[in-house]
Amino acid sequence: MREHILTVNDLEIQFKLRGKCLNAIRGVSMEMYKGEILAIVGESGSGKSVFTKSFMGLLEQNGHVAGGSVVYYGSDDGEEVDLTSIKKEKDWMKIRGREIAMIMQDPMTSLNPLKTIGAQIMEAVLLHQKVGRGEAKAKTLEYLTDVGIQDPEVRFNQYPHEFSGGMRQRVVIAIAIACKPKILICDEPTTALDVTIQAQILDLIKELRHKYNLSVILITHDLGVVANIADRVAVMYAGDIIEIGTCEEIFYDSRHPYTWALLSSLPQIGVKGTDLFSIAGTPPNLYAEVHGDAFAPRNPRALKIDFVERPPYFQVSPTHKAKTWLLDPRAPKVEPPSVVEKIRNGGLI
Amino acid sequence: MEREVLLDVKDLQVNFGQHKKKFEAVKKVNFKIYKGETFGLVGESGSGKTTIGRAIMRIVPSSGGEIIYKGEKINGKISGELDKKVIKEIQMIFQDPQASLNERAKVDYIISEGLMNINKGISAAERKKKVDQALLDVGLLPEFATRFPHEFSGGQRQRIGIARALIMNPEFIIADEPISALDVSVRAQVLNLLADMQKKRQITYLFIAHDLSVMRFITDRIAVIRKGEIVEMAETEELITHPVHPYTRALLSAIPMPDPKHEKEKKLLVYDPDMHDYSVNPPSWQEVRPEHYVLANEKEFKEYKKLYY
Repeated sequence: MREHILTVNDLEIQFKLRGKCLNAIRGVSMEMYKGEILAIVGESGSGKSVFTKSFMGLLEQNGHVAGGSVVYYGSDDGEEVDLTSIKKEKDWMKIRGREIAMIMQDPMTSLNPLKTIGAQIMEAVLLHQKVGRGEAKAKTLEYLTDVGIQDPEVRFNQYPHEFSGGMRQRVVIAIAIACKPKILICDEPTTALDVTIQAQILDLIKELRHKYNLSVILITHDLGVVANIADRVAVMYAGDIIEIGTCEEIFYDSRHPYTWALLSSLPQIGVKGTDLFSIAGTPPNLYAEVHGDAFAPRNPRALKIDFVERPPYFQVSPTHKAKTWLLDPRAPKVEPPSVVEKIRNGGLI
Repeated sequence: MEREVLLDVKDLQVNFGQHKKKFEAVKKVNFKIYKGETFGLVGESGSGKTTIGRAIMRIVPSSGGEIIYKGEKINGKISGELDKKVIKEIQMIFQDPQASLNERAKVDYIISEGLMNINKGISAAERKKKVDQALLDVGLLPEFATRFPHEFSGGQRQRIGIARALIMNPEFIIADEPISALDVSVRAQVLNLLADMQKKRQITYLFIAHDLSVMRFITDRIAVIRKGEIVEMAETEELITHPVHPYTRALLSAIPMPDPKHEKEKKLLVYDPDMHDYSVNPPSWQEVRPEHYVLANEKEFKEYKKLYY
């Protein structure tokens, strides 16, 4: 049995907006293992960012955890911490950076333009590691080398505007690493970057995971990136994880109609001259209560029960489960679309 | 079969700044776009692909070379009559639907602004008819005309951007990264819409993007551009299955495919521009396979030729 670093039980997050209540996360349960890279995929608005922000107490003012728990096992004294019970900023400061660190999408806006790169990384080192200034500088140079920045001595004294987008993202990663976190949350870390740079950053994350013993949560909407880097994949739709499994299980043997739809709409799959598959309709309105399977109204294969009762998780294998009534023994047999077969047979290239 | 050339770009140069600060964004670029086809320009940020699109739209002035549209030169000084024709026939779709629509104008005005500029005396009834039709064409409802852009989602806003281009009945559309700001599921819808419009109206597209996987789906021919120079050009399938220039190969190897096995086994190619030794033998434009061109000097050309034989 692999060791857990984080377990989420029935987490619910609500936002109050103009007197109305928005259910952003609707009862999510999930566990995360030590040292793995877990990818969370979903459309914008599916709640993937909100979900992970709640691990760090970074929800907006009008949002709150309405139920459930997030238990963190990684702290040095070995004590379990329920992250949802933390109320004070002072207590969050012990978690943020030190235990769980985050890399944002846009490296242009997450660095301070008025401070040198070196000073920004050193700040994190001084704050989180008990070292003097001299040693902190040495460590900073080491981190810069680790994230693949050449001439660290020169780069140390430069400002963010002297760095390219990919290099800035490397600096942001260096800052996160300098906090010595156990969990690293990467929120769309490569969306703003070119493909060649993206590939380099993904390689870097893989390398650092081993070196620093990190557990990584990767939030993305790019399934190509997921295939490249993830050990396990969670598919999120309308504030719920509807399918979770190993990377191979999700790509080669997915079971939820939404995962099928997501895979089918990839341009990499498309055949020129024919229409690309697109998901009809829009995601459900989360202000209202969602009845049954949230994806049912957009799902041409929906069963009657999908509109009435919310499906529980059905186990496909010990590592793979999905929330769809299609997996119920009483359900009619529905064939997955041809795309699943196509990916399995490597028919993409 | 001789195909009709719609747009012919000859030795196009675009420079920014002057004298010491001069920066060559586009260096003597040549390509032809045939009528009815979708031509793709692929490159990374800073490669000059957007600048080429903007030079054709005459948003940025060209510093040298010629842009010939239907046999007439359209860059530099042109007659008022031609100017009007070019404005009407060449339209553009922008990348970011959040930034490219006037926040303070209603959809009705946004879509019909170009129409009113070209045809000052257009009656209100006719205008409304055209706006309604344009909205229907892109899959929106006519009653949206009285709303403001902030009331729409990203995919809908991009549709408004497309309706604004289509209402002019253009022959040629420049689409600058039209889907990169959109969500995965919405991307498919917008790509389908663009392909559908092409079938119905025989529109010619210049598609500018950084994502080769999207390009493969939508384009007929692709030019790969790097640092203001086209390094390779061929028909889409030919380019993707038989890339010869090291830069194209690096770019292709970097595209993440939704297949874990393939991804875990793949080897990333890294392009190092220093690998070319052009000091003695400068590169030129060579045909390495039928209709497949590459920028190479004599020595490289021989090596490239050997790749697939």
